[in-house]
Amino acid sequence: MTGGGRALLRLMAVQATWNYERMLGVGMGYAAEPLLEDLKTVDPVRHGEAVVRSAEFFNCNPNLAGLALGATARAEYEAVPGAQIARLRTALCSPLGALGDELFWDGLVPALVGLALVAAVLGAGWWAILGLLVVYNLLRLATALWALRTGFEAGMRVGSAIGGSWIPGAVARVGPVAGGAVGLALPLVAGWYLRGFGGIGVVGALAVAGAGAAVTRWFGPSLTSVRFALLAMGLLLFFRWVGL
Amino acid sequence: MSALAPTAVLLLLVWGTLVALDLVSVPQAMLSRPLVAGTVAGWLAGDVEAGLRVGALLELFALDVLPIGAVRYPDYGPAAVAGAALAAGAPWELGLGVSVGVALVLAVLGGWSLKQVRRRNARAIQRRAAALAAGESGAIRLLQYGGIARDAARGALLTGLGLLVAWAVASGVQLDRQTAVGLTLVAIGAALSAAASGAVRSAGRDARLRWLAAGVAAGTLLAVLR
Repeated sequence: MTGGGRALLRLMAVQATWNYERMLGVGMGYAAEPLLEDLKTVDPVRHGEAVVRSAEFFNCNPNLAGLALGATARAEYEAVPGAQIARLRTALCSPLGALGDELFWDGLVPALVGLALVAAVLGAGWWAILGLLVVYNLLRLATALWALRTGFEAGMRVGSAIGGSWIPGAVARVGPVAGGAVGLALPLVAGWYLRGFGGIGVVGALAVAGAGAAVTRWFGPSLTSVRFALLAMGLLLFFRWVGL
Repeated sequence: MSALAPTAVLLLLVWGTLVALDLVSVPQAMLSRPLVAGTVAGWLAGDVEAGLRVGALLELFALDVLPIGAVRYPDYGPAAVAGAALAAGAPWELGLGVSVGVALVLAVLGGWSLKQVRRRNARAIQRRAAALAAGESGAIRLLQYGGIARDAARGALLTGLGLLVAWAVASGVQLDRQTAVGLTLVAIGAALSAAASGAVRSAGRDARLRWLAAGVAAGTLLAVLR
């Protein structure tokens, strides 16, 4: 796989041109360029068509985009009909989005952030920040490398390669870990902030927390947690201003 | 907000731009997590403790966000930078509420600005549609660099505005102790509610909910024992 290293680096910026029309499309085209370079000398016409296809609509979790990138690049070298490659790209959007989002955004990130918060509260200081950055980026880079290689090796059979890989099992395992880590962090962070405010302060903050959970659940997306916070702060300032 | 040297302001501006870029464009290395962005900003502003406090509280709000697909969400990175700069130098019990309030407004503005950048990206792509249809790799590269430049400009503007607002609030808003402490307690309560809501929503009804409950129990025990 010539150009794999450069493609991997370019995958770090796969969302740089994110938009509501092609989504990751142009970013995928940018990452595909080094992989498709050899095709230029072998079959310039095919290369031009491959470049066009590489930048068309695509969307998935950026950390698993390498699977689609590698698979479609391999398919271009194997002269698979263009319509078939386009169908493969479309077919990969949903599973790579769902698996990647569950694995990273809803799993690994809250798990590591939860643990970093616990470490920070327990006095780890900079080590908490450094640990979060190092562990996340090592796992993410290893995943991106694996994804690109697996995609390129599997080509059009990438679907079964994903199904038989470690990803589905990791998705099932990382969710509970994230739940446990965030659960552990919440009372510790609350104690860290509220210690020293006295009983009334603690009761007041917990009352706001309870009201926030209830009200945001009741109103749904129209009252997000940020809007609730700003509303509560505004109300407090208003009451203080009128002398209450 | 302690008086910042021009170098510190410049470094905060650069850091805010980097964390804004990190959120979506490049490199998505978790620099934009408020815990990271805030702590580093606190250090740059000369008060790591304030940065950590602001960053950790905003992190609880960020745990309520699942950045999937085309969903719109606040940009907490530059917001954490401005919030940490505002909180620096003051006792955190008094400065945290105001700083987080300012940061939340900026985070919402950051989310809106992200949407504008995405629209501009789409327009840039439409302008180069012919080149893309002709398979010109150079056009793809230019679009990509343009996207990064737009996002960097967004981050720099947002951070600059945040620092300006922080300076204006620090020099123009005088709160009595009760109000400042009240704002801090409201911010803490709202942040806890955000993180708890996000955690329960993600947990669903399967094993993750049991692990969440076990984590809360263990965390409560640890918090009491400390």
